[in-house]
Amino acid sequence: MSVPVLNVVDLKKRYAETTALGGVTFEVRPHEVVGLIGENGAGKSTLLKSLVGLVQPDSGRIELRGNAVKLRSVAHAGSAGIGMVFQEQSLIPNVTVAENILLGAEGGAVRGGIYRWRELARRAQVQLDKIGCLVDPMAITDTLSFAQRQLVEIAKVLAIEERTHAEPVVLLDEPTSVLDSDEIEILFAQIERLRTHASVVFVSHRLDEVMKVADRVYVLRNGQTVGEFVPGQTDEAELQRMMIGRDAQGSHYHEDAQVDVSAKPVRLRVSGVSLKGVCDAVSFDVRRGEVVGLAGVQGSGREELSRALFGAETLSSGHISIEGEVKRFRSPRAAIAAGFGFVPAERRREGMVATMTIAENVTLPHITTVCNGPFLDRPRERRIVNDWVQKLRVKAPSIAASIATLSGGNQQKAVLARWMVSGDLRVLILDHPTRGLDVGAKSEVYKLIRTLSATDVAIVLLADSLEETIAMSHRVIVMKDGKVSAEIPAPVSSKPSPLEILERMI
Amino acid sequence: MSIKVDDKIGTVRRAIPVRDARALFLRFMPGIVLVVLVLAVALANPLFLRPNSLLTAADSAAPLLVLAAGAMLVILCGSIDLSVAALASMCSVFVALWVPALGGWAVLAAVLVGATAGLIQGAVHVVAQIPSFIVTLGGLAVWSGIGLVASSAATVGVEGDSLEWAFTRIGDARIPSAALIAAGVAVLIAAVFWFTPVRRWFEAVGSAEPAAVLAGVPAAQIKLAAFTVSGACAGLAGGLLVARTYSGAPGLADSLLLPVVAAIVVGGTAITGGYGGIGRTVIGVLIITVLRVGLSVAGVDPSIEQIIYGVLVIGAVSLTIDRSKFQVMK
Repeated sequence: MSVPVLNVVDLKKRYAETTALGGVTFEVRPHEVVGLIGENGAGKSTLLKSLVGLVQPDSGRIELRGNAVKLRSVAHAGSAGIGMVFQEQSLIPNVTVAENILLGAEGGAVRGGIYRWRELARRAQVQLDKIGCLVDPMAITDTLSFAQRQLVEIAKVLAIEERTHAEPVVLLDEPTSVLDSDEIEILFAQIERLRTHASVVFVSHRLDEVMKVADRVYVLRNGQTVGEFVPGQTDEAELQRMMIGRDAQGSHYHEDAQVDVSAKPVRLRVSGVSLKGVCDAVSFDVRRGEVVGLAGVQGSGREELSRALFGAETLSSGHISIEGEVKRFRSPRAAIAAGFGFVPAERRREGMVATMTIAENVTLPHITTVCNGPFLDRPRERRIVNDWVQKLRVKAPSIAASIATLSGGNQQKAVLARWMVSGDLRVLILDHPTRGLDVGAKSEVYKLIRTLSATDVAIVLLADSLEETIAMSHRVIVMKDGKVSAEIPAPVSSKPSPLEILERMI
Repeated sequence: MSIKVDDKIGTVRRAIPVRDARALFLRFMPGIVLVVLVLAVALANPLFLRPNSLLTAADSAAPLLVLAAGAMLVILCGSIDLSVAALASMCSVFVALWVPALGGWAVLAAVLVGATAGLIQGAVHVVAQIPSFIVTLGGLAVWSGIGLVASSAATVGVEGDSLEWAFTRIGDARIPSAALIAAGVAVLIAAVFWFTPVRRWFEAVGSAEPAAVLAGVPAAQIKLAAFTVSGACAGLAGGLLVARTYSGAPGLADSLLLPVVAAIVVGGTAITGGYGGIGRTVIGVLIITVLRVGLSVAGVDPSIEQIIYGVLVIGAVSLTIDRSKFQVMK
C-alpha cells in the first residue's frame, strides 16, 4: 500500500470545560475520497480547522506524505499542500474570478506591482480546466451562482498544486448544505474529476451523501473517531448507532418521564403565521405540557418562526393565541409579560449578558419580581436566585460571580432559570438548548425540559439533531421551505424513525 | 476574506484568572492614580492641600463633571456622545440671551433645550439606525452652528446677578455652589443606579444588546434616556459656564470635549459600553482636574495639555476596551 498523503494521529483539542477533539485518527491515501461523518458537535469543524492551521491542536500529529507538520495559518497549510473549501465561502465578491483563484499566489501574473490581466486569466484558466469549470475567469465573482462560486473555490484550492509541486489534499466542509439536488449531482461529478488531481476529504452530517461519494468513511462522535467503514459493506442502522452512540438511548433523554398530554387543553395556537420571505401560513397547536419539536433544514424557516413567536420578528400575517386569547407581540418584552420564555441558540451572544453576575442575569427578564415599586429588593433577589440555583443544581461559587466564569452547561441552566423565577411561565421556546454542551450537561437539560413539561409549560423545541427532536418531543412539526410539510406524533411507545422525518424535510 | 473563526467556545478556563487580575487592576487603578497625582502635586507645591486651593479645584471641576456624568450614561449603554461640549456652548449662548427675560430660570430653559437636542440625536440614532458616532459628530457641527447664528458669532454678555447662585461660595466653609450642583447631579445618578434596576439595563444594553432585547430590556428607551440626560447635562453645564464668565459664547465649552472623554475613560468606564459607572466618572474628573492643576504648578505650557489628554484617552482605552466585541478593529 502506498504512503498516505495525509495521516492524522490521535489529535486532541480542549476548550476550557469541553473536549472538542478527544483523539482523532485517520488517513487519506493518494487519489482517495475519504468521508468524515458525524453529528453537530462531533468535532468536525474543529478537526478541519486544525488541518488548515486555524486551530492549534493540544497534542497529536498531522503528517503530510510521511512528514510531521505544524500548521500555523491557512496560507501555511496551503504551502504544505492542504486546502479547504469553506462552508461559508471565502471568495472576495467584488473582484474577478481569476484574482480570487490566484490571490496571494499571482507569481508572474504581476509585474512591478501591476496586474498582467492576460497572464492572470491564463493561469486561472489552467485551474478551472482541471475540473472542467466553464466559468469565465474575468467574470466578477458575485455575479456567479453559489454553486459556481463553490467550483471556483475548488479551483482556487487546486492552485496549491503548482506551488507545492505535489497533489494537494482538498477538504470540503459540508459542501452540499446550500445546494439544490441538481447542483449536488454536479458537485459529485466534480469530486470524481477532482480525485484525478488530488485527494479529497468530504465532510458531512448526511449519511446518504457520504455513502454515495466516498471510498472510505470515518465516523466521528464526541471528538473521537469511533469507526471506519467502506460504503456498501455496512448497514445503515449500524452506522446510525455508530454516529449517535450507545448512550443515546431512552435514559439519556429521560423518555420514561414523558407525560401524556393528549387530554390537556391547547395552550399555544399558531394560526396562519407568515413571515415575509421566510415562512408562509404556518399553523399548529401546542397543548399544556406538550413538547412540540420543530424540525427542518437550514432555510426551512423554523429559526425565524421561533423568534417570531417570541416577538423578536414581525409577523406579516396570521396571529398566535394563548388559551384562546389572541396576542400580537411587538417586542420580546411584550411576549415575556404574557408568560413566554426563549432560550436562543447563541448563548454567549444572545442568551446571557457575559459581563453581569449570575443573579443579575437570572432576574433580568422578570426584574419586577424582585422589586418593590421601582426599587430593587436585593435580599429578596438573593433569596429567589439562590433558591433556583439550588433547584437546578447550577454549580457556581456564588450567585454574585460573573456568569462568564461558569461552564457552558451551568450557564445554560442559569439561562433557563431566568424564565422560571416569575412562577408564571406558560410557553417556553428552546432554540438549540443543548448546543455546545457535553453529554452530561445535555442530559440535565433534557431532564429540566421534562420537569417543565410536567408542570404544564407548553414547549416549542428546535433541537440540535433529529434524534434529539424525536426523543424529546410529543409531536414533531416538520417544516420545509417555510411551510409545514408534516405533523408526526412521537409518543413514547412508538417514536418515528429519523428517516420518516428526514423524508419530509428535503 | 470572510473566514469566520468560531469564538463561541473561547478558552474560558485560562482566561478567567487573567480577566480577574485585569478587572481588579481596572477597579483600583483610577483611585491609585488619583492619590499618586495628588501627592505629586502636593510635593511640588504643599499649598495645594490647603482647603482653599482644593475648593477652587472642585469649583473648576464642576462643569466638567456635569458634562462627563451625562456622556458616561451614553457610553455605558454602548453608544457615544461627541456633541456634549458643542451643545453646552450653544446652551451658554441661549442662557446669556434669555437672562434678561427669564432671570435665573434661563438655566432651566437651557437644560430643557439641551434635553430636547439630546433626545433628537438619540432618536436619529435609534430609529434611523445611524451610528451614534456619526449622529453626534454631525450634531456637534449643528449645535455649534446654531450657537454662532443665535449669537451673531459674538460673545453675549450677562448683566446683573440673576446667575450668582451658580457661581458663589456658600457658608463659613465657603463651598463653591457649582461644585454642589455638580455633586448633586452625580449623587442623583448614583442613587438611581443603586436603588433601581436601571443600571443593569444600561449595562446589559451596552454589553450585549441582542441578549438584552431578548431578555425584555427596553433597549431603545434606555438609549433615548441616555442621550436625553446627556443633553440636559450639557444644558446645565452651559449655564454653569455662563455664571462664571458672565457671558455666553459660541465655542465657550468646545475645548471640554477631550477632557470629558478622557475623564470618563480614565475613570475606568469601557468605551465599548457595558462597564463603568458614576463613581468612576467622578474619580476620572478629579484625575483630569488635579492633572490640570499639577501641570500649571509645574509650569508646563498649557498648549501641551491637549497632547496629554490625547495620549491619556488612547492609553486608558487601550486598558479598558473589550476587544472580543470586534472581529476587525476599524
